[in-house]
Amino acid sequence: MYGWIWRHLPGNAWVKALISLVLALAVVYVLFQYVFPWAEPLLPFNDVTVDNQ
Amino acid sequence: MAATTDTDHEEHTAAPGSAPPDRPRRRGRIAAAVSVLGELLITAGLVLGLFVVYSLWWTNVVADRHADRRGDEVRDTWAQDPPGRAGPGALNTKDGIGFLHVPALSKGEILVEKGTSMKVLNDGVAGYYTDPVKAELPMTGKKGNFSLAAHRDGHGAKFHRIDKLKKGDPIVFETKDTWYVYKVYGILPETSKYNVEVLGDIPEESGRKKPGHYITLTTCTPVYTSRYRYIVWGELVRTEKVDAERTPPKEIR
Repeated sequence: MYGWIWRHLPGNAWVKALISLVLALAVVYVLFQYVFPWAEPLLPFNDVTVDNQ
Repeated sequence: MAATTDTDHEEHTAAPGSAPPDRPRRRGRIAAAVSVLGELLITAGLVLGLFVVYSLWWTNVVADRHADRRGDEVRDTWAQDPPGRAGPGALNTKDGIGFLHVPALSKGEILVEKGTSMKVLNDGVAGYYTDPVKAELPMTGKKGNFSLAAHRDGHGAKFHRIDKLKKGDPIVFETKDTWYVYKVYGILPETSKYNVEVLGDIPEESGRKKPGHYITLTTCTPVYTSRYRYIVWGELVRTEKVDAERTPPKEIR
């Protein structure tokens, strides 16, 4: 999978490494900005109130 | 910190990729499938690791930033309307009603806002209950229970050290005109999340039977989970007028 991506990136090894880094950063950004905030309320880690529901 | 994580991510993602060209292309299909599976598992591990980083660090960064800004806004509103003069600022509940100072919890102050929904609490503040039991705000002067909730971990983690609170410790609530000094008298280290009695006007589980001016802090316990709730009760000892310099009462000096 990652090998496939690596082979399909353009340029020499340095350019590939740079693009991979940018891709990784983009993935982290999407995770932190959209995926985790969405997933968090679905997980039972942060309920702090008492209620009768 | 984010940079380190990214580099790790990068190394892991790059490493498997650089290996295959050296190997013969005619690896069996099974070997290819196993390698993809392995890469997926590594990815899953990294994502879970990142989620921990997000929950325990990044949400704190975001929430603290937000709470600081909100707190400054509240203080600005107060400053425009000096103490003693009961202006509209005194009952402005939109941005926050005041600050909680609990030396045992943290050196800083905790902004108090209305409501205990995730949306409110995720901003790194403590919220007073509106549901299922309505909190009695100290400013009204009426007897009742000023019940609050805040996060134990992540999103500011304002009540992270709630287990450090002991009987007799001060909890001071600051409004525009008054310091309300409470003293902790009751602790319930573990209770069901359905136990709404703890928020009652007279929290009987704390041992009090008569109406009074109570404060209740609730959060989740044990740390990093939401299995039970941790409850701390306090009782109003005295109030102090805010002076021109906003000198804090001796309990938190």
